[in-house]
Amino acid sequence: MSHEVVRVERLGVSYRVGQVLEDISFSIEAGDYVGIVGPNGSGKSSLVRALIGLCTICSGSASLFGVPCSRFDEWGRIGYLPQNLGMYNPVFPATVAETVALGLLSRKRFPRRLNRHDHETVERMLEELGVSDLKSKLIGELSGGQQQRVLLARALVNEPELLILDEPTAALDPETRERFYRIIADINRTRGVTVLLVTHDTGAIGQHASKMLYLDKRLLFFGSFDEFCLSPEMSELFGEHSQHIMCHRH
Amino acid sequence: MDLVEILTYGFIQRALVAGTLIALLCSVLGVFLVLRRMSLIGDGLAHVTFGSAAIALALKLYSASALLVSLPIVLLSSLGILKLTEKARLSGDAAIGIVSSVGISAGIILASVGGGYNVDLLSYLFGNILSITQEEVFIAAGLFCIVMVLMLLFYHELLAVTLSEEMARVSGIRTNLISAVLVLLTALSVVLAMKLVGIMLISSLLILPAASALQLARSFKACVCMSAIQGCSSVIAGIFVSFVTNLPTSATVVLLNLACFGCAFLARYLLDPKRSN
Amino acid sequence: MTGIHSQRITTYFICFTLMLLVVQGCSRSNDIQAKNDKGKLQVVATLFPIYDFTRTIVGNRGGVSLLLPPGSDPHSFEPKPDDIMRIGRSSLFIYTNPSMEPWAARIIKGVDHKKFEVIESGTKVQYLKAANDGDGHVHNAHDGAEKIDPHIWLDFDNAAIMVDSILAGCVSADPANAGYYVKNATALKKALLDLDTRYREGLALCETRTLLHGGHFTFGYLAHRYGLSYRSLSGVSSESEPSAAAMANMVRLIRQSGAHYLFAEELLSPRITEILAAEAGVAILKLHGAHNLSREDFQRGATFIGLMDENLANLKKGLACRTK
Repeated sequence: MSHEVVRVERLGVSYRVGQVLEDISFSIEAGDYVGIVGPNGSGKSSLVRALIGLCTICSGSASLFGVPCSRFDEWGRIGYLPQNLGMYNPVFPATVAETVALGLLSRKRFPRRLNRHDHETVERMLEELGVSDLKSKLIGELSGGQQQRVLLARALVNEPELLILDEPTAALDPETRERFYRIIADINRTRGVTVLLVTHDTGAIGQHASKMLYLDKRLLFFGSFDEFCLSPEMSELFGEHSQHIMCHRH
Repeated sequence: MDLVEILTYGFIQRALVAGTLIALLCSVLGVFLVLRRMSLIGDGLAHVTFGSAAIALALKLYSASALLVSLPIVLLSSLGILKLTEKARLSGDAAIGIVSSVGISAGIILASVGGGYNVDLLSYLFGNILSITQEEVFIAAGLFCIVMVLMLLFYHELLAVTLSEEMARVSGIRTNLISAVLVLLTALSVVLAMKLVGIMLISSLLILPAASALQLARSFKACVCMSAIQGCSSVIAGIFVSFVTNLPTSATVVLLNLACFGCAFLARYLLDPKRSN
Repeated sequence: MTGIHSQRITTYFICFTLMLLVVQGCSRSNDIQAKNDKGKLQVVATLFPIYDFTRTIVGNRGGVSLLLPPGSDPHSFEPKPDDIMRIGRSSLFIYTNPSMEPWAARIIKGVDHKKFEVIESGTKVQYLKAANDGDGHVHNAHDGAEKIDPHIWLDFDNAAIMVDSILAGCVSADPANAGYYVKNATALKKALLDLDTRYREGLALCETRTLLHGGHFTFGYLAHRYGLSYRSLSGVSSESEPSAAAMANMVRLIRQSGAHYLFAEELLSPRITEILAAEAGVAILKLHGAHNLSREDFQRGATFIGLMDENLANLKKGLACRTK
């Protein structure tokens, strides 16, 4: 049986410049792979950031695993991979292993210490994502794609039930991006991890995601990719031709 | 001059002990501060201490009791710097600049309103590594224990927050608390250590060992250790060098640190082509 | 959105204007005080010895103000707007010499209407060189202007010469009261001569003739005049930091000389001196360089001669002198 991982009701988010999201309602079941798409500035990032408490909710409600986001504290159940745009100081001296190990902190209580078992878990994770040869490199020395895989390892190392990715492929070339999406899809399939992936790359994500969520300040569409392709609203929005190209690549 | 003879002087012994302890804690704190772009917090908080000392003197509190006024004010200012970076869309250096200039101008205005003092304020504020008393060695030891225990307890949290505050938050770390712990420990160290060894030494020990370690370290743990090693060895070497060459001790320590930084920089420059390919 | 914006800007300007008004209101009160002494001779003196001498010469026929606020370090000083205005209103500005108050020249340049006369009270005195490392061998200053010991008032002959320079300034600025000024100056010089006699007698028979001083190089003139050898911890600059070797040297000197006291300077923190004294097992005595006063001393109306008598008492104690 499936149960609700994310539930959003009449959610509104606004910054000083004005409303970025209004009246968003949807719910996500365990095991879903949801692609959140929409044009630039449509509030995609704000939506996932609101879920994990990185920006404040103005109206409506949101809950994770049945707990309202404001009171949510089971961070061990969540893995998060943010946008990788100049987030790292290039001279930051942490190694790949040290960075990934930080992902384990969410399952620990004060005082948070890492033991040998934890280090083994980290090595297993690195191996699984095919980056164990980078283990003792500094993260600043890695290429963009390598960095994102390392950060994905960090997000996955605590074995989360919900993986949230915010434009993880923004800085990557198309080939690396495609490989990355496949890894995510694989994790979703084999481990049953619920995935919430924000991207502006509507076509590419459509091939992997089980559900699409199209945003432009309001929720314009929520359903499966096939429904997305048949939806008249979407044809109106993109024009028949673009919709056709997006949907018929696979 | 005989090096063994140097050790017979009590003030040298105390300088070595207290200096090493302070150097260790400053250089470890420094790694986090430099990476968080708050390297100048030492200078900034020193200026705030100047301002708060003026308040203490206006209230007719001297030396030890003046700390009762300075300490809370400096601790609050350090949190103020943190809040400014979070709420006012300012970077760390701008926030430190604001708090520091407000601190020093408050001190100058209070001094002027009070119509002068019985003493030269600055000479009372800033100690010298050669003039450490027995009790102050214990203060340094106590401070060292507090800072080191908290750093050990929060090591992973501090690393996570320094690396990426957002990811740390989603890992369930209370980032505000951790940041506050870091700046409060820094504030505590600056206020107490400044009275012992002077602000120039504190400020440089917060920056230079960390900066050198960042050139060469191959992991975060190594970075912290290298910084600590450079910090305390520069103080020990500085005391001896200043003895032999008859140069002011604190300045000698700073220059030794600079020399270490130069070597580290050069080493990285020479090793870099091999590393990046 | 623009509404919020313009509202915010308006609020900002209102706050700013209010602040300016408050500051304006505060500054008004100063002007009234200044008008009281109009017509009299107005003198601004930089350091305490000059201030004290001028005060004595001018008596009740004029106003003398001390530029340096009590308690501050004379080697580094920054004037307030009010100080500049005070100098602008005065008819005489008296300082010691460019090496004691390097900031004086800059201040004078910054004042717009120069109706005042500038007196360098230390022009005609016999300068001594300062030992940069404080090793105490005092030489006459022929070469190397930067190593001049600026504390000329601590030689009471020099002090008398300074009195003459100050007197000349006062007389040329206010010839009407010349006779009164000359009379006061003569009395002051007599008092300085008496002080000199007291020092000569007081320091004639002492067990030790080494003046060990845990501060910056100050008492070169005094030591030279009364045949003492003088060792200070650091050089002329009060900001220079002593080296570990200098401190160890001083400790060794104290032990070798068999002294029971170490002298400490006024105003600056006595920490270093205390450490040295504790290390060598001796007690501390204050020796006042008279650059500047603490606020307490200023308020109790201390005079230069009074301070020097206190110094003499401490010197006699510290050097174990017998009275004749």
